[in-house]
Amino acid sequence: MKWRVLPLATHDAFYNMATDEAISDAIAQGKAPPTIRFYQWKPGAVSIGHFQSMNDEVNVGRCKSFGIDYVRRKTGGGAVYHAENGEITYSVIAPESLFPKGIIESYKVICGWVVDGLSEVGISSQFAPINDILVSGKKISGNAQTRRRGTLLQHGTILYDLNVEKMFSILKISNEKISDKMIKSVEERVTCVLRHKKVSEEALYKALLKGFTKGKEYEFGKLSANEIEKTSQLVKTVYKTQEWNFMR
Amino acid sequence: MEGMARQKIPGGKLLTVKITYSSKIDSIQLLGDFFLYPESSLQLIESALVGMESSSTMEELSSKVAQVVAKNEIEMIGITPDSIAQTILMAVKR
Repeated sequence: MKWRVLPLATHDAFYNMATDEAISDAIAQGKAPPTIRFYQWKPGAVSIGHFQSMNDEVNVGRCKSFGIDYVRRKTGGGAVYHAENGEITYSVIAPESLFPKGIIESYKVICGWVVDGLSEVGISSQFAPINDILVSGKKISGNAQTRRRGTLLQHGTILYDLNVEKMFSILKISNEKISDKMIKSVEERVTCVLRHKKVSEEALYKALLKGFTKGKEYEFGKLSANEIEKTSQLVKTVYKTQEWNFMR
Repeated sequence: MEGMARQKIPGGKLLTVKITYSSKIDSIQLLGDFFLYPESSLQLIESALVGMESSSTMEELSSKVAQVVAKNEIEMIGITPDSIAQTILMAVKR
């Protein structure tokens, strides 16, 4: 089984989410190989979980004034602020049959690749069920998975740098709560690569690439014409629409 | 009447229930950072709860959710039928 690797690329939130779904559809139809994808977000964006309410979780007005996108994911999980150059996101999209049937077990397999990648830059981390990866007890990576038509899609972020105040200004937490105490408490629970190793984003990407491809036959590839067309269609008909993003 | 309750399920995820009710549950929304497979099945659970007596017990609510889960082979991660029932009871002021 040869994997396709789509190298680190930067796109907006709608394209990023649409691409994951387009690849997932192509794999479900037997028209694409299992795929590992690395990407970043420009402009920065907030993604919310499938079952969250945009208005409950995100300060939409502030996003608009900062030029930050907001999008609902196909996957469950929580709201995430994807800062420009603040993280590396990955997607693993493949037939379900390549992974354990149990959801937590399959999280463990793919999160293991993140753990392997972080160890390449000298950071020791552990998978913490349900869907987190911790360094010294603090979250460095959040992950979310969905399965559809026999295809597994898991995406997740690896925090490279962290700006808690910016995160709080965008995620919907009342101003009173953005006290020093609150920020301190988040800083106690969340960490990022730069707080453990002074490595470049490029070095982190190379390390993750190594962790994700270890023991696999793979080649670098690109999206097919069909996947590009489907991505473009999904951006317009789903991910940029009010109906989808404000569904709940 | 309208009600809302939110709780972090021990060992699980955050669950919010938004509900409108009279003698029966008129509408209900389950929100949060949980996982549910397939995702579209959340509507089945919400629809099954609409029309139930708003005085239903935790056992009755939990049993209704569990029936939908079993019938539709739904997998829940981070929430359970019991935790949904418990949060509904918190949202319905008695």
